[in-house]
Amino acid sequence: MATYAHPEVLVSTDWVAEHLNDIEHVRIVESDEDVLLYETGHIPNAVKIDWVQDLQDPVIRDYISKEKFEELCASRGIANDTLVVFYGDKNNWWACYAFWVFKLFGHEKCAIMDGGRQKWIAEGRPLTRERPSFPRTTYRAKDPDLSIRAFRDEVLAHVQAGKPLIDVRTPAEYRGELVHMPDYPQEGALRAGHIPGAKNVPWSMAVREDGTFKPREELERIYLQEKGLKPDDEVITYCRIGERSSHTWFVLKYLLGFEHVKNYDGSWTEWGNLVGVPIEKGDPEATQS
Amino acid sequence: MRKLDALLELFQDLEPAERLELLLDFAERLPPLPPEYVPLRDAGLGMVHECQSPVFFLSEVQDGRVRIYADVPREAPTPRAFTAMLVEAFDGEPPEAVLEAPEELLYRLGIAPLLGMQRLRGLTAIYQKLRREVAEKAGFSANPR
Repeated sequence: MATYAHPEVLVSTDWVAEHLNDIEHVRIVESDEDVLLYETGHIPNAVKIDWVQDLQDPVIRDYISKEKFEELCASRGIANDTLVVFYGDKNNWWACYAFWVFKLFGHEKCAIMDGGRQKWIAEGRPLTRERPSFPRTTYRAKDPDLSIRAFRDEVLAHVQAGKPLIDVRTPAEYRGELVHMPDYPQEGALRAGHIPGAKNVPWSMAVREDGTFKPREELERIYLQEKGLKPDDEVITYCRIGERSSHTWFVLKYLLGFEHVKNYDGSWTEWGNLVGVPIEKGDPEATQS
Repeated sequence: MRKLDALLELFQDLEPAERLELLLDFAERLPPLPPEYVPLRDAGLGMVHECQSPVFFLSEVQDGRVRIYADVPREAPTPRAFTAMLVEAFDGEPPEAVLEAPEELLYRLGIAPLLGMQRLRGLTAIYQKLRREVAEKAGFSANPR
């Protein structure tokens, strides 16, 4: 079986079990959809990083500043040369998001625990409620790496140039049947549909039942053979707020070795509210012929 | 004083980290689903689709009192905690307790800023389902607005 393009970014539950006491070189980070899940029990020596409380700016729609990121790492005992291993609930959805933010600020050694929290628990491995604390570090972040982050003007130019996009939302969202729940219009978009030319591959297509990533051959069948992407394509991934699409960004960049993949974190909650930008509706088949 | 007011008072006095602690306590307190509701849950009825996890939530009005029947997986402690809080605040109360409760309950409790948009969506949907069902079953207007 062919290995992934960058196999070093995935570690197994076995590997984590063997390295969880190597606190000098390795920091295990739990990032979950559910804000309380870490507190109910986590991998021994794992710290919590929450996407709302720790990674997003509380006022502006953006990630935390470089200075705040440095403080976050310092407070969790993460140094510039620490290997940070992310895991979490929901097929590592938020673990991939945290991984992406760490890459945005130039952290070199990042990995995902394949199978996430689900696999660790299914294997009957230990959880603890004890919050570890590690000596503070001095952390120096890099300026944001914009080669992995797309902004709206760039997305528009990308569409006009006919370059590929992957929409990782559900088919109903992609077709434009769902824009938001009737009671919460403030959380949705004023228009429904997808960015013209985008192909629809729901993010969870990349994982197996046990939460691990599908083997390379299967991923290639989905993204290369079925959707026609090529590894040297410039690809932009998006979803509703840019979280599910960081999972697909991870798959394309690290498991399949695409060189130029960006996550558009503005995603549908930006595009579907922009005045005058083009939108397509309907089935993938109809729009991709 | 209504039970909800006591709950609001309790939450409003806490620091954000303490609110999370208290939520965690609630997550452990959700009463088990009565066996007669298990077939409904297993048939996929009463599910709150906006939640990222399978949340079963059903409210009824029996003899002039609100009854809440719910089941939320342990791997989803936040909706589990919020559901347990709704049980604590409204189960056994008259329907007016639900209908007069603030629409922006999650903000009033001070837990909205801890959660963020994506997470609020599921919890808001649970609360709206409670308000809608109690209004309908108590014979009030189906539209709380």
